[in-house]
Amino acid sequence: MKKPSSPLLPGIKRSLSGRLSLWIVLFAIAIFIATLSYVYAVLQKAVRREAINGATRELENTVLRVNVILEDVELLADNLEPLIYKDLDNPDAMMELSRSIVVNNPFLNGCSISFEPYFYPSKGKYYSCYSNNNGHRVYTQQEGNDQYQYFYLDWYLLPKLLNQPCWTEPYTDQEESDDETMDSKMSVSYCKPLIGNDGSFVGTLSLDISLEWLSETISAVKSYPHSYSIVVGRGGTYLVHPDAQILFYQTIFTNQLEHPDKELWTLGKAMLNWEDGMREIMLEGQTNYVFYKPLMTTGWSVGIVCPEKDIFGAFHRQQRIVVAIVILGLLLMFVVFSRVINRQLEPLRKLAVQARTIANGNFAQKLPDTNRTDEIGVLSKSFNYMQGSLVNYIDELTSATAKRERLEGELYIARSIQMTLVPNKFPAFPDRKDIDLYAFMAPAKEVGGDLYEYFIQDGKLHFCIGDVSGKGVPASLFMAITLSLFHMSSRQGLPPAEVARQINDGIAEKNEQLMFVTLFIGQLDLKTGHLEFCNCGHNPPVLMRQSPEFMQCLPNTPIGVCPGWDFEGQVLEIGHAPILLYTDGLNEAENIRHEELGNDRVLAVLNQEAYTDAKALVERLRIAVASHVGTAEPSDDLTLLCLSLLG
Amino acid sequence: MKKPLLLFSLSLLAVLPLFAQQQKKEAPLVFTPQWTAQAQFAGYYVAKEKGFYDEEGVDVQIIHPNATQTSMERISSNRSHATTLQLAQAIQIVDEGIPMVNLLQTSMNNTLVIISRREKNPLEQKGAKVGVWHAGFAELVFAVTKELGIDYQWIPAASCVSLFVAGAVDASVAMSYNEYYQILQAGFALPEKCIYRFSEHGYNIQEDGLYVTREYYRAHKEQADKFARASRRGWEYAAGHPEEALDIVMDYVDRNHIATNRVLQRLMLQEILAKQLDPDSGERAFLLRQDMVEKASDLLLRNGIIRKPVTLKDLSR
Repeated sequence: MKKPSSPLLPGIKRSLSGRLSLWIVLFAIAIFIATLSYVYAVLQKAVRREAINGATRELENTVLRVNVILEDVELLADNLEPLIYKDLDNPDAMMELSRSIVVNNPFLNGCSISFEPYFYPSKGKYYSCYSNNNGHRVYTQQEGNDQYQYFYLDWYLLPKLLNQPCWTEPYTDQEESDDETMDSKMSVSYCKPLIGNDGSFVGTLSLDISLEWLSETISAVKSYPHSYSIVVGRGGTYLVHPDAQILFYQTIFTNQLEHPDKELWTLGKAMLNWEDGMREIMLEGQTNYVFYKPLMTTGWSVGIVCPEKDIFGAFHRQQRIVVAIVILGLLLMFVVFSRVINRQLEPLRKLAVQARTIANGNFAQKLPDTNRTDEIGVLSKSFNYMQGSLVNYIDELTSATAKRERLEGELYIARSIQMTLVPNKFPAFPDRKDIDLYAFMAPAKEVGGDLYEYFIQDGKLHFCIGDVSGKGVPASLFMAITLSLFHMSSRQGLPPAEVARQINDGIAEKNEQLMFVTLFIGQLDLKTGHLEFCNCGHNPPVLMRQSPEFMQCLPNTPIGVCPGWDFEGQVLEIGHAPILLYTDGLNEAENIRHEELGNDRVLAVLNQEAYTDAKALVERLRIAVASHVGTAEPSDDLTLLCLSLLG
Repeated sequence: MKKPLLLFSLSLLAVLPLFAQQQKKEAPLVFTPQWTAQAQFAGYYVAKEKGFYDEEGVDVQIIHPNATQTSMERISSNRSHATTLQLAQAIQIVDEGIPMVNLLQTSMNNTLVIISRREKNPLEQKGAKVGVWHAGFAELVFAVTKELGIDYQWIPAASCVSLFVAGAVDASVAMSYNEYYQILQAGFALPEKCIYRFSEHGYNIQEDGLYVTREYYRAHKEQADKFARASRRGWEYAAGHPEEALDIVMDYVDRNHIATNRVLQRLMLQEILAKQLDPDSGERAFLLRQDMVEKASDLLLRNGIIRKPVTLKDLSR
């Protein structure tokens, strides 16, 4: 199916200015694209490098700030440890230590100094000295009991099993408020194993801090409008995340249980493995850069998630503006170039319109004057010159055409006259049953040099056929003279050779043009079939007895060449045999390749069918000639004459 | 005189049904599942929220256990009337002298696994520290490992997953519908060779069932039967409408401030529902199997966890 084309395109196709402008603009677009692509690639790299450096610096500063607080907690535990060991034999002192550390360090949520079951026989199975700061007061109590078996909890077990200090994963801490209700807040504990004198594990020192400060400190980091910070715990749990729905409840791997995401998995593993770096990942269909760094001894990792659109936001905005300016510029360029070129080509357009007017015959149309010296000016002047020449030529042509038409008219009349000079009514002798005769003559031009004649006198058929040298008007005049002389001589009852001599003398006498005519003159006795003839340089006729054959003729000269020539006659008994007379327009008829029909072909055509009558034979030959010549111009006049005695 | 008598009769007719209803109405049945709100108990939540209990005419209150009160403590103190128990737990409780009646058996397969942290077969980690729930549920694990002669150093803990993640234990006992997914969620790949599934080694013993004390059952037989029927209907509905059931589960999770998420609960529900299909018939049978009761009882008896055999009859209504 043909696509519907935009109406703009045909307009541009027709308009040179449109096409030129379009090419210029396309070329400019190619240059702009190449240049802008290179510049953008370089700038993008620079922006990316700067973003990485900026985010990395920010991340390092954040980690440093968090580490300071975490280090404070760890330092506090280190300082408290010797005091515990010093009074390890005194369980009540543990209670005091727990309280004083919370009272003296308001940033602590709580402190627990807890011991293995029955470590202090006097205190029973449970002995956990726990002090808690709810923001207003510090509560201190022994919190272990059958319902709160602390030695099964992470904060107690982890340092015991790992035999080293460690941070717990975050947990919900229930604390007593002033109105004796329970508040819950997310907390995290730094725990140290307490080792007895015999080297065995005796309990755990645990310092608790709220996670709110961590969230506040880290969430404050906002490098870009939509960037956010995260902290993931040892098991990938989100400890800090802007989405409260998933905070503490989901890990970085949760959604991957149902929808595996290799990039996110690799990022999660890198963060869990305490690596330091940057990764590009897809989150909710958008590319994000995640910068991550481990947090001291906690086993946690801090990350800053920066959407690519933020990092490259300003850059892309500028990019869009530049592209918009370029597009506008190119459009403007197209319009301006179109108009300028259009204006420059205006004379050409006028020239075209006026040239068409001239072409329509209005030769007096005035062409625009121009003072321009450029190509348009030269073209305009050339057009002016051409118009002058054309007007003159047309005048001459008009005059020549009139002259030619007059001549053609005269020639037409001459042709009519010539055609009446030879008998052209058939049957030739409607009142006689003893003779069948048919003739055909076609000049190659308007008038020709072929001739034929016949008449009956004294029981004999007098006839001739001839071909004047050359063609056209001179030949036709010569033909008329020859015919006239034939009539005069033949009517005197002279034999053919004498008739030839008289015609030759009559013509040769004033033949300044040295023209001549080949002539076959015959007299056929209508009763006996006795033929007396004289062939003056003409093609030998074809006699059709059993088979067609050329008659044997004596070599006389054509008429008009040698004054006083003694022509020699011949006789032949032809009886009822048909005889074909012709001019060289038959056997020398040429086709487009200049191949002649030839005597052999003529005989072959005659042999094609049995002879029926003169007209049929003449028609057959005429068709054979027409078929051979085809589209070629007739090379010579063609005359055919066939006769036979009947009865 | 006729008119006042008619009025009196009509008012008596109106009051009588109320009086009868008051007489008939029983105290609410308090159901305490053995753990905090999660998809493990989806069928009960669905039965409650879809009104199946109401339709049966039984008033059920669902109260979850907490750190200070386990479900069995609530049962013992008569503050709760029904709970869920694993088969091995139920056998042990019966052996301890508290007759229990199985109202409805939901689990048809065992979900216990031991997961190694060291990328090797857990049974090949001799002397390894293995985390286990301090609150119970591992009777079968102790019996099997004892029978196999594996000398694990058991680490009873409130949260085995935290110890596992921190690297404080070499392996951990887990449920394939719960802790297993929590460990995966913590970024562990867990190749199959690290997991020992009890069900695949001749210990496919049923787990969760719905229980009341025999004493309670005798006193509230009709109420308990209705509770069981509606609960079964709840489970069947959950199996047919898992996403709707999950919505209900997440409501309970949110109300109880449980630190979990929808993905974990969906996976838990899928696994729980899958394990409710009978291994032979492939159907949701809701029945205790005699062969499994015998196998559990023999195993616990052989390994000295119970003192005398407990039969299917001991647990049946």
